[in-house]
Amino acid sequence: MGQLGGAREAVKRTLGRLLTLGAVAFAASAHVGSPDTYFEGAAGDYPIRVIIRSPGVVPGLAQITVRVLAPRLVRRVLALPVYWDPRTAAPPPPDVAERVPGDSTLYSAALWLMRGGSYSVQVTIEGDRGTGVALVPVQAVATRRLDLPTPLAALLAGLGVLLLAGAVTVVGAAVRESVLDPGAIPDRRRTWYARAAMAASVVLFALLLVGARAWWRAVDAAYRTGLYRPPHASAAVRSVSDAATLRFAIDDSLWTNPNRRWSPLIPDHGHLMHLFLIRDSSLDAFAHLHPLPRDSTTFETHLPPLPAGRYRVYADIVHESGFAQTLTAGVDLGPPGGAWHASDPDDAFIADESGKRDGGRAKGTTFALADGSTMTWDSGDQAIVVDREAPLHFQVQTRGGEPAVLEPYMRMAGHLMLTRFDGAVFVHLHPAGTISLASQETFLLRQPGDTTRGALGTRLTQYERAATTHAGMVSLDGSVSFPYAFPQPGRYRLWVQVKRAGRILTGVFDAEVVTAAGARTVP
Amino acid sequence: MGWRHADQEGVTLHRYAWITLVAATSTVVGVIWDISWHRSIGRDTFWTPAHLAIYLGGALAGGSCGWLVLRTTFAGTSEERTAGVRFWGFHGPLGAWLCIWGALAMLTSAPLDNWWHNAYGLDVKVLSPPHTLLALGMWAIQLGALLLAAAQQNGATDGGTLRASGVMVAYLAGILLQNAAILGIEQVGFPNGAHNALYYQFAGGVFPLVLVAAGRAARLRWPATAAAAAYMAISLVMGWTLQLFPATPKLAPVFNPLTHMVPAPFPLLLVAPAVAIDVLLRRFGPRRDWVLSALSGVAFLAVFFAVQWLFTEFLLSPYARNFFFGVDRWDYSSRLGPWRYEFWRVQADPVTPRALGLALLLAVASARFGMWWGNWAARVRR
Repeated sequence: MGQLGGAREAVKRTLGRLLTLGAVAFAASAHVGSPDTYFEGAAGDYPIRVIIRSPGVVPGLAQITVRVLAPRLVRRVLALPVYWDPRTAAPPPPDVAERVPGDSTLYSAALWLMRGGSYSVQVTIEGDRGTGVALVPVQAVATRRLDLPTPLAALLAGLGVLLLAGAVTVVGAAVRESVLDPGAIPDRRRTWYARAAMAASVVLFALLLVGARAWWRAVDAAYRTGLYRPPHASAAVRSVSDAATLRFAIDDSLWTNPNRRWSPLIPDHGHLMHLFLIRDSSLDAFAHLHPLPRDSTTFETHLPPLPAGRYRVYADIVHESGFAQTLTAGVDLGPPGGAWHASDPDDAFIADESGKRDGGRAKGTTFALADGSTMTWDSGDQAIVVDREAPLHFQVQTRGGEPAVLEPYMRMAGHLMLTRFDGAVFVHLHPAGTISLASQETFLLRQPGDTTRGALGTRLTQYERAATTHAGMVSLDGSVSFPYAFPQPGRYRLWVQVKRAGRILTGVFDAEVVTAAGARTVP
Repeated sequence: MGWRHADQEGVTLHRYAWITLVAATSTVVGVIWDISWHRSIGRDTFWTPAHLAIYLGGALAGGSCGWLVLRTTFAGTSEERTAGVRFWGFHGPLGAWLCIWGALAMLTSAPLDNWWHNAYGLDVKVLSPPHTLLALGMWAIQLGALLLAAAQQNGATDGGTLRASGVMVAYLAGILLQNAAILGIEQVGFPNGAHNALYYQFAGGVFPLVLVAAGRAARLRWPATAAAAAYMAISLVMGWTLQLFPATPKLAPVFNPLTHMVPAPFPLLLVAPAVAIDVLLRRFGPRRDWVLSALSGVAFLAVFFAVQWLFTEFLLSPYARNFFFGVDRWDYSSRLGPWRYEFWRVQADPVTPRALGLALLLAVASARFGMWWGNWAARVRR
């Protein structure tokens, strides 16, 4: 308890009364094909929604927008990205976010993320309710290589040819005429010298061009090597006396190389790893498991009785730096074995081979949950559009049609996993958005003197153990919402998990996401 | 219009020589300002004053010389047209073509640089292909301005024009020296490097080229000295001015919380070796270029070594830590420590006789190239 008191004291010291994190629900992150960060929570007395658009390149400019969700008199909104490593953080003064014209509650700013890795963005609201701060973890990683658009390439090539021809002509003119008296005509000798000089300059410029091309290619190759990719992992099933065990191994040399200093893993709401199994192509079987570490590279869990087939495997982990990653693998499952003894009480799965489900765009899609209650997706009657706030509002009702009371499931009122049918997108959401609770807490608990690996993780565990149930972790009226915008168009499947009367319940929905242009053609 | 009369042609060219000189100054001021901006504030946009000064230089040089070429080609007399060089059917002075080329290169670098930032990150390295193209464009403008002034000087018929254009040539050579110093900021920029071999090798390889060329090209009593003085003056004025501007670092990590812009380090005392070069050039006359190159190289290195070795010791002493010398001003991201007052890499790259021998070879070669260049520039008429 002494240590715990110390940890609490540290929290108070670091951020004082500004932070009211306890009132917010948070969750794990990193994700596949969804680089932007969505956060909904409280900065003191100001409920806010924050969206941070990743630049996809480091160093780069991330765009942050902050929306104040309640009628408050706001004087100033500040944003400041702080790097995870206290030895190198030393941030400049925060930026004042500008109010977006035509919208009195929306503020925006640019965040300069200069190094790759984990940041927390301190969002400060100053107004009639005093000053409130929220921490939004964000990861700066290079995720994409920008192609040179054809028109720009054509323009540059044209200008390049003009410059080269011009340079050769200047050389010729310099040799032929530059030292002649005005009016004098160059003789044959000078003309020939000029031609020779131009020929020589062509060779020289060609060599320079070859060098420039090699230089560009080297920069491009170095950039490609630096692109973020999660460590490679593989999954396998082992059957021992009728019980099947799933083994998930991080078998990447990037991971095992002792010179590569990953910071240690920390538990995200009580689990070092959140692992999801999704049956390939049909997406009709889903499991949310929490494997236990066997060693620093291998995790194991008892496999629920899922139908046989090829499965996609997604594993969420969080580092002490606050860096969250989603590792991916694939595994073939045989016919289900005997009884399932869950390795962890938070493990759950759902398998439905009927393959029939209504499209998510139908208003009021309802899914019958395992305990007889229902989950309804209030998706509205508008099309779901890429990069626009998606109406992810769900309502759970008892068998009698009354609003159901939702208990905290891993310290959250609800979890939402979604994937595009082709697997290009996989996201694990919570009412607080895409962010990782553990990331956020590490930034909250971080101290300037943190230099020992693992110390922060220990403090975090103590902090989580001491944490009590807060209002944000439950839902008394059976409703749960998730702030998010779909990153790409296409067909998606959504699994919404809640806990009721000690039982984990999973609702399954489909969504069709269209581009803004596509939305206009929908009647 | 002036250029319609052959006797007024000189006046018109004079105007363009002045405009391009201002353009060249604008680019070099912009570059010095921009470096200070990155060392003091960190963050920039397209619209920083430093960037605007650079673009202004490009626009001024490209626009004015483009106009000159169009007027000469389409509205000039046949004398005016034959007073320039031919270029794809157009006519204009060689310097003007260089300025136009430079402006086009700068223009080309802009969309490439913008894409580069989006593709590979914000200025991960200063020396990138688009920045190199931009630098080439600026050098072309500065060299073009120098050639315009040189052509005017070489065709001058009265003392006033001769003298004024001689000063312009020397001043523009000073801008080229400034470029060389900026290019070598890592090698010769900081006094702390002055006890390294690389310091003298870089200086030997680069500065005699411009000093000797200026010595041959500018018709002044002390041409190389004037060029070196122009370089030092630009550095000092920029250094003193920048220190007056308030600045707040805006990029993490901020280990050195600044309040004002960081000036460039105190300039190299190039005036001293330049005096030696001028004396040699005057004494030996025009006919013994190989011997003269060798002597100029030796003289440059000897004087530069003696002066800089001692002067940098002063610059690292507490007496130099003031507004005038502007030393001990470090980037916002520097973790300040005793290294500020030490000579760096003394063990790794010591000044040995062998290293100085290499520096000497470079200085002699550099002087020889400078001689060729200066001889040509002294004869440029168009």
